[in-house]
Amino acid sequence: MLSFILMISLLPPVEVKARDVPNDEGGKMLITWQRSADPAVIGYRVLRQEQGSDEWETLAFVGRLTSRYTDDAVRNRVNYRYQVIACSETESAVSEPSAYAFSLPQWFDTSTLPALLGTVVLSLIFVYFINRAKRDKNLFIRRIAGLDAVEEALGRATEMGRATLYVPGLSSMADVATIASLNILGEVAKKTAQFGTPLIVPVADPIVYTVAREVVKESYTAAGRPDAFHQDIVFFVTDQQFAFAAAVDGIMTRETPATNFLIGMFWAESLILAETGAATGAIQIAGTDAIAQLPFFITACDYTLLGEELYAASAYISREPLLLGAIKGQDYSKVLITILIIIFTILALGFNQPVMNWF
Amino acid sequence: MKRRIPLLIVLITGIFGAVAFFVPNPVIRSADETMRNDVQRIIAAFSLVLGVGSIVQHHLLKIKRKAQFWPYSYITIIALAITAVIGVFGGIDVSRPGLLPTRIGSFSFHIQTIYSNMMVPLAATMFSLLAFFMSSAAYRAFRARNLEATLLLLAAFILMLGAVPLGRMIHKQLPAFAEWILAVPNTASKRGILFGVELGVFATSLKIILGIERGWLGGGK
Amino acid sequence: MSTERENILIRLQKIDRRWIYLVLWLVVMFPLIFPFKIKPKPTPPVEQLFNYIDTMPENKALAISVDFTPDTRAELQPMVVALLRHAFAIRRRVGILAISVYGLGLGEEAIQQVTGEFNAHARTHEDSVIYGEDYVFWGWTTPILTVMLGMGERITNVFPVDYYGNRTESLPIMKEIKNYDDIGILITVAASAIPRSWINYAQVQFGVNLSCGITAVSAADFYPYVNSGQFIGMLAGMKGAAEYEQLVRQRMEKNGMEWALRNRGTEAMSSQTAAHLAIMAFIVLGNIAYFATRRKRK
Repeated sequence: MLSFILMISLLPPVEVKARDVPNDEGGKMLITWQRSADPAVIGYRVLRQEQGSDEWETLAFVGRLTSRYTDDAVRNRVNYRYQVIACSETESAVSEPSAYAFSLPQWFDTSTLPALLGTVVLSLIFVYFINRAKRDKNLFIRRIAGLDAVEEALGRATEMGRATLYVPGLSSMADVATIASLNILGEVAKKTAQFGTPLIVPVADPIVYTVAREVVKESYTAAGRPDAFHQDIVFFVTDQQFAFAAAVDGIMTRETPATNFLIGMFWAESLILAETGAATGAIQIAGTDAIAQLPFFITACDYTLLGEELYAASAYISREPLLLGAIKGQDYSKVLITILIIIFTILALGFNQPVMNWF
Repeated sequence: MKRRIPLLIVLITGIFGAVAFFVPNPVIRSADETMRNDVQRIIAAFSLVLGVGSIVQHHLLKIKRKAQFWPYSYITIIALAITAVIGVFGGIDVSRPGLLPTRIGSFSFHIQTIYSNMMVPLAATMFSLLAFFMSSAAYRAFRARNLEATLLLLAAFILMLGAVPLGRMIHKQLPAFAEWILAVPNTASKRGILFGVELGVFATSLKIILGIERGWLGGGK
Repeated sequence: MSTERENILIRLQKIDRRWIYLVLWLVVMFPLIFPFKIKPKPTPPVEQLFNYIDTMPENKALAISVDFTPDTRAELQPMVVALLRHAFAIRRRVGILAISVYGLGLGEEAIQQVTGEFNAHARTHEDSVIYGEDYVFWGWTTPILTVMLGMGERITNVFPVDYYGNRTESLPIMKEIKNYDDIGILITVAASAIPRSWINYAQVQFGVNLSCGITAVSAADFYPYVNSGQFIGMLAGMKGAAEYEQLVRQRMEKNGMEWALRNRGTEAMSSQTAAHLAIMAFIVLGNIAYFATRRKRK
């Protein structure tokens, strides 16, 4: 009688539920249960049974404070049910099995809804302004000193009879800063072709090397000087950060270019390049979206394009309406984000709303 | 046609990459994975060939024309060849030898030795130049010329003092104040710049996917 | 102001930078030869990371991604060593990987150093740090996205073979570390923007806990992520490494491991302090000369 009482004294877990894990590619089930109130429980064993089979397969043994388990080895569209066994040192208590459930891959991850909403709204803003730019070709962009100084800097190099050095950063074509830099390189190359100024473009990525070579070749052709282009203008150096910095420092010291362009993505080598260029007496125009490197460029260079000014460069220089429209779209998107920040801050601080949980 | 095909590829892969972020379905995800894993790996491997070809061509031209400092081009090409041969055929280290012997007595020159004894000290040397350049840049540029420059100077001073024991001797809250400057005003301004930069990235990416921005194609219309 | 004094002040403003380099070199060298002890007080981001690892559940592993290159070794390698010592001292499993191929040699160096320290003091098998049981060096593969996203599904798919050529599925430790669910925290030690990629891909998709060890110059960039909780604490620069070394040393002493170990981050603090003071002195000198000559010009 006493052993019978002891046998039924351990309370099993209750409300065992199994459901498909949402927002995934399938193959996972989430099992939850209400823990046994019995203090003798040391853990739970989770078992699974496939529909049509008599066998219960043990999946895992989890700790006594756990009330959920993810089974990541199920097949999609196959029904399973689960049992959870509360275990103490000497005995165990089996729960009622859960209802059958199956896993499915989802076609949309609902947790990305805010991102999708933001993407759609911002895209609509951009498309609106791009379309507006087709009608109104006189969209205003404020002066960007660094870009205005390009012609002056190239003129200086021509007068002094020295070369122009252009470093398009150390990143790959996947980096937007590199693409922005190559747009500026195109314009700089056109001007060096017109003025007859030697151009040196050392590159740190093989793919950027091929694109930069085509950009410069195309610019020289567009300027009516295809004969002035030669393979040596653009060359690959190394993809190693400080080896590249050493090579460019060497070029600066030996060739003493009159103008240095340091435009693109840079890391710790930024100050090494900028300070060496300053020591050679060159006029330097820098531009990067690497926030950590901006202080170094501002200190050591004559002009610096900060962050988005780099992306605006192609629109600024070419004055193409579509590109100008995109810049406008960017600006109005920022206004929208600022307004939303203010609204949500007021809601969170003034009205105690749990805005962080809304997304 | 020469420009239409790359633009079409960019449009399709760009939209597909964005869709894959929102759609967890295994068909979409595995296609996205194939693009990222296999296709990118193949492109990266070919790009390495292009890069090496460019270095060799550049330096061979310098040697041929006897350009200024041309003997150093010999050093570059010879170093490139030796490291490549040792790396490919010489094994990793003493316990994992390769086809070529990379040991003379107790002196070994496998790729790990070259890496640890040449690459590492050379790279560290270049990085240490930063300390010297920072001091000369700070001396030259940190002058209290106007209000903004003075504020910059003061903030830099407080942060530097906060990093050394002297700061705590001046005032015991100075290190905490330095930490506050980093954690609050600096963070706020960085977030502002980050918003702008990320919007710029979004806009530029959209322009590239839609074919409005075509500079990456190599210039021209 | 006399002409001679004015000339000195003007020359001081335009001093040849090589004099500055010489003074800085002396100021950095001197404390290395005649060191003075500096024990930095741990700051909140460092303490936050330390406490998190220290109280990690036993069934969770620590993952360290060696994402830096040899040039930043002096600043970042002490962090990797301190993290490994901490993990082994509290008997947590460790997985090490490298996002950059250059991190392989650095990771290997740190592993050899720390396992050598622990095994030299081990008296039993349980005290020892055994490869394949207590730690695993997954190595490197490309591209980066494969690693960051693939580790969320199955680490053995991303690294079917470890750095030493063993099949990862055959290692006992890999039965306990299948994916991010079994990793308590992943710490990326980097000198670039790689930590941001870990957030964008690994944390956004899989919710893995992250932290970072970064160079001092990049620290300002990553404070927003520490404040928002996306990084659990942070080790910033050599000072961050030195602070973590202090905490680890105290922990090891508490566990009875009073070993005489080299703490390279802490050792470098005297030179760093002297260099800071020298740069501050240069700035003050430069500004004195600037204001004195400006007053004269007015």
